[in-house]
Amino acid sequence: MASATMRDAVFDALADPTRRQVLSLIGERGEATASRLARELPVSRQAVQKHLASLTAAGLVASRREGREVLFRLTPAPMSDAVGWMAEVGGQWDTRLAALARHLGSGPRS
Amino acid sequence: MAEQETSERSVEREIQVPSTREETWQALTDPERLGDWLAEEAELDLRPGGDLVVRTDGETREGFFEEISEPERLVFWWGEPDAELTRVEVELEEIDEGTRVRVVEARPLVSVEAVAIAGESGLGGTAPQMSASMSIVA
Repeated sequence: MASATMRDAVFDALADPTRRQVLSLIGERGEATASRLARELPVSRQAVQKHLASLTAAGLVASRREGREVLFRLTPAPMSDAVGWMAEVGGQWDTRLAALARHLGSGPRS
Repeated sequence: MAEQETSERSVEREIQVPSTREETWQALTDPERLGDWLAEEAELDLRPGGDLVVRTDGETREGFFEEISEPERLVFWWGEPDAELTRVEVELEEIDEGTRVRVVEARPLVSVEAVAIAGESGLGGTAPQMSASMSIVA
């Protein structure tokens, strides 16, 4: 149950295009501050901070303090959970549809 | 952009089969024939809101039908007991070589409980189809 809730948070976090940009920018930089991200995005620093908060809640990013700066980095585990769901469900349908094709290919034709 | 958002919460697969659309529909909805490709055992109440139970290798999935538009579209929700339900949309399209079967399995944008509550309190206006189906689960 806990992991299903976490997966929801991940999917909701990923549903927003700006949050996806935030993620990919952090991915490119390795680590980045909210101000730095805001400079590269068409949104305010406050908006970036909100997005970082929901990404943190979803477990997609983590932060650490260095002097007066807060640096954000990616945490890959929940992302792979979402990707894992897609791989699992996709694989199930591959199997089912292949069996359906066999069933229809060799079954009686009306 | 909408496509991208969809792809992050849904899985889509497509195949072509040599059968007519009607024949393909039968293979998708006749419990006896489901044994060949979907589940060892299936109980289907083929009407909107009707129950669905399928069993394979000791795994049970339960859910309900949202839409049944023979012979082109079938929508149902399913999941393991006590787990989140996902929505499966199956579309059959007539093509020269037979039928194209397209399946999309998607995770709901909001939890089942939230939609059911929204539906009950009259807030489900943006998704009438969903809230109507959802209240059956709640």
